[in-house]
Amino acid sequence: MSILANKDTRVVIQGGQAGVNAARRMAEFCYLIKRPLSVEAFVYPPDAGKTNEIPYGSGLIAVPIYKTIAEATKNHPAINTSLVYIGADRAMKGGMEALDDSHIKVVSMITEGVPEKDAKILGAHARKLGKVFNGPSSIGIISAGACRLGVIGGAFDNLVLSKLYREGSFGVITKSGGLSNEIIWICSQFADGITTAIGIGGDAYPGTDYVSYLEMFENDPQTKAVVIVGEMGGDLEERAAEWYGAKKRRVKLIGVVSGFCQESLPKGMKFGHAGAKEGMKGEGSARSKSDALKKAGAIVPPTFGALGPAIKETYQEMLKSGQVKEIVEPTSLPKLPKTVEEAMKADEVIVAPLIRTTISDDRGDEPCYDGYPASELINKGYEIPHVIGLLWDKRLISKQEAEIIKRIVMLSADHGPCVSGAYATILAACAGIGLSQAVAAGLIMIGPRFGGAVTDAGRWFKYAVDNKMTVEDFLAYMKKNVGPVPGIGHRVKSLRNPDKRVKELVGYVKSLHIKTPCLDFALQVEQVTAAKKDNLILNVDGTMAAVLVDLGFPVDSLNGFFILSRTIGLIGHWVDQKRQDSRLIRLFDYLVNYAAPKRREVPPLK
Amino acid sequence: MAKVLEGPGMGLMKKWGIHVPNYVVVTSADELAKLGQANEWMKTSKLVAKAHEALGSRFKLGLVKVGLDLNGAVAATKEMIGRQVGSITVSQVIVSEMIAHKEEYYCAVKSTREGAEILVANCGGIEVESNWDRVKRLCLEVGQAPSPESLEQLAKDAGFTGPLTKKMADFAGKMFTCFDSEDAQYLEVNPVVTRESDGAFVALDAVTLLDGDAKFRHPDWNFAFAAEFGRAYSKEELEVMAVDSKIKGSVKFIEIPGGDTAMLPAGGGASVYYSDAVVARGGKLANYAEYSGDPPDWAVEVLTEKVCSLPGIKNIIVGGAIANFTDVKKTFGGIINGFRKAKADGKMKDVKIWVRRGGPREKEGLDAMRALKDEGFDINVFDRYTPLTDIVDKALQK
Repeated sequence: MSILANKDTRVVIQGGQAGVNAARRMAEFCYLIKRPLSVEAFVYPPDAGKTNEIPYGSGLIAVPIYKTIAEATKNHPAINTSLVYIGADRAMKGGMEALDDSHIKVVSMITEGVPEKDAKILGAHARKLGKVFNGPSSIGIISAGACRLGVIGGAFDNLVLSKLYREGSFGVITKSGGLSNEIIWICSQFADGITTAIGIGGDAYPGTDYVSYLEMFENDPQTKAVVIVGEMGGDLEERAAEWYGAKKRRVKLIGVVSGFCQESLPKGMKFGHAGAKEGMKGEGSARSKSDALKKAGAIVPPTFGALGPAIKETYQEMLKSGQVKEIVEPTSLPKLPKTVEEAMKADEVIVAPLIRTTISDDRGDEPCYDGYPASELINKGYEIPHVIGLLWDKRLISKQEAEIIKRIVMLSADHGPCVSGAYATILAACAGIGLSQAVAAGLIMIGPRFGGAVTDAGRWFKYAVDNKMTVEDFLAYMKKNVGPVPGIGHRVKSLRNPDKRVKELVGYVKSLHIKTPCLDFALQVEQVTAAKKDNLILNVDGTMAAVLVDLGFPVDSLNGFFILSRTIGLIGHWVDQKRQDSRLIRLFDYLVNYAAPKRREVPPLK
Repeated sequence: MAKVLEGPGMGLMKKWGIHVPNYVVVTSADELAKLGQANEWMKTSKLVAKAHEALGSRFKLGLVKVGLDLNGAVAATKEMIGRQVGSITVSQVIVSEMIAHKEEYYCAVKSTREGAEILVANCGGIEVESNWDRVKRLCLEVGQAPSPESLEQLAKDAGFTGPLTKKMADFAGKMFTCFDSEDAQYLEVNPVVTRESDGAFVALDAVTLLDGDAKFRHPDWNFAFAAEFGRAYSKEELEVMAVDSKIKGSVKFIEIPGGDTAMLPAGGGASVYYSDAVVARGGKLANYAEYSGDPPDWAVEVLTEKVCSLPGIKNIIVGGAIANFTDVKKTFGGIINGFRKAKADGKMKDVKIWVRRGGPREKEGLDAMRALKDEGFDINVFDRYTPLTDIVDKALQK
């Protein structure tokens, strides 16, 4: 047996994330004692109509979310308990809503910082209706082997260690949430564990006090003794003492009270829970409470440390008198399934990875590129081209190579607003499209006709060089198998009107006196093609491609150099339009050749 | 509980129809002189000047001056502003009119578990304190308002007769309305006096304690709550409070000068048991501290730095019960960072650290603490199998 929460308890949780976290803990307990999930519904208007997924064992249970308590209990008539996880300013309304629902008999409020008056109103309303209002600021209620309300009991391992999977003989009532677990633990170590433990909250006027719960424990034959953990302030402990001393009680009462340190502290200095305030005339001090409990016949250990032995002694007496029997623990208990991460850490599973990477890793305190920490690269003078080298070709390139890449990027960063990429970005920017989409619109233009010839040019120049082809053989091969040579030809530039970017790049690379077989071959191809037609010159794509192949970059990465460089320009165009607050662009009719059929009559639909 | 100084306290009473003397709260003598030109009562009435701070025994300290004219009040204000009393500097002075009166009474409303009780006595001032049995009470359930009859009966029980009965009943009724409407926890007027000029009951001095948790529904509470602590908060305490107000969960820190046992325990309940254990062992607390509700690690780190900076400490008690949901590894991570910083600043010499804790990820957290030994910390780490406050016994063993 137990009090307040048992196997028949069915729960609705009022509130958002904190409530979901509690439900997860409650599901762990349900799994441990092999009962179905006790949480049947949530009430949280912002998410009404959705579900919260609560892990139970290795599965997930979808628990519906409702707008009101009435909806929840209508759909789940077995609900008899509500846990309130609503903010302090709305907690009273939520608590009242739950108390006023005929299905609900117990309301436990977890919310902290609830105005005293609200707590009193809720408490009085519950008493009037013959219901229980527990809290505010309650950590929860747990009945061993039966039901857990809230996060009380802590992590799964602690539930097992504290033997909460089966009932013992001790009831527990605490104000402090942290100490509830400690007492449950002590009861399981020094005695046979608990029946029910209740956190009543540390406020000055908890909705239900020790006395009401003591009365319930007194009527629960399984509970043989009750441990109460008190604090200075208020008169709840004195009332408990009064109750205990009023007549012969079946249950033994063991109590400790904190706050003796106040006696040796400077006057006026107080701390602890909200309710831990001594009265104006010294009533409610730890000493007066402790004395009252002693006088009423309760067992009052002198310190918290002496509580364990006192519980042990009580238990031994109960064993001796035959009031309780030693409990044989079950040989096996359900183990909480591990998450994949936990199981891997424990070397229990092998997981086939979904993706494989060979270039970067940011699991540490900073990203590493091909193994080199980014900050170290910076501090040792490396620059952006080196990062490109590491991420695109997995090697630390030389200073000279870096300089070439830097120049390529600088030369290709932009080519004015009229080219396809920039124009597309500008068009998008003027339509109010955001940066990443507008730049993507420009990047989409990069293809066989605009900027996308670098990879192909590199591929065929490399093919020719690798196969030691002559220019003539190469041109013949291309004509037969491929078509126009990628990297050769320009719409406006020609031999007489050379592309300055090409001249610049070729000049620089040549000045370095490095081996450039591809570039040399490309320039020889230009000699032949430009002689046939003036504009069949080596264009900037072809030059970049030849140089980059010579530097050893993989052919498939070559378009990347153009995409990377031109992104700089595209971002610039977007920002430029934004800065000017440009208007939407619409094509003028006179820029369109309307070659569609003239207006005509639509024939009847057949 | 949040204490409110006289000025705003009287403001709330006035709001609910309770007669209070005319008053102003000023921060300088010049301001008072200027107000004196604008307000007729300041020129015609005798005045009282009081330091407007959360200080006890102001009379003895010379921080209450009575029977003044305006010039006298200006001079008194000049003298009081800036005076240092312990850790509190007087920054405000309340100047109010003196009410000529003969009789003094007492009235208070107090929060009780059931609701509230109204206290009335037909004596006031220091007389009521030595004649507490003359105070009569009317107990009310929460949500219940006192009837005019019950208030008159209360006044009669307290010994009021004739027309005074109704006046006291009315006054007590207004006090209750103020108490109930303003989410007060304690309202006391001592003395209530009969104004000679018109016979009205006037509240001469007010003690007002409000429920700070109800602030969200009182937009007109535009005053700061007074330190209810017997002294002003220190810079370090205020810094921890600032962190506390920003985070989920809480961190608390109060210095106790002269102690040598520093406290860094978890939980509002366990922290007091740890303090008790230190005192029971004959130790001297250097502070009170507490973190709870799974606070972020950086907040615990700030708290740790403050604790490690306490002068003359020999032991630090990093105690805690078995947490429900506070992540032990994470919060200990904050403490460890704080320890390392303190050590780097040369603060941890000859300081012994004592740890006991349980809860989510307790093994990882305790292991991380144990590893501090290798960094040269004098640290002793215990798990859930060592009873809660045993580390205090071990630390303070002679």
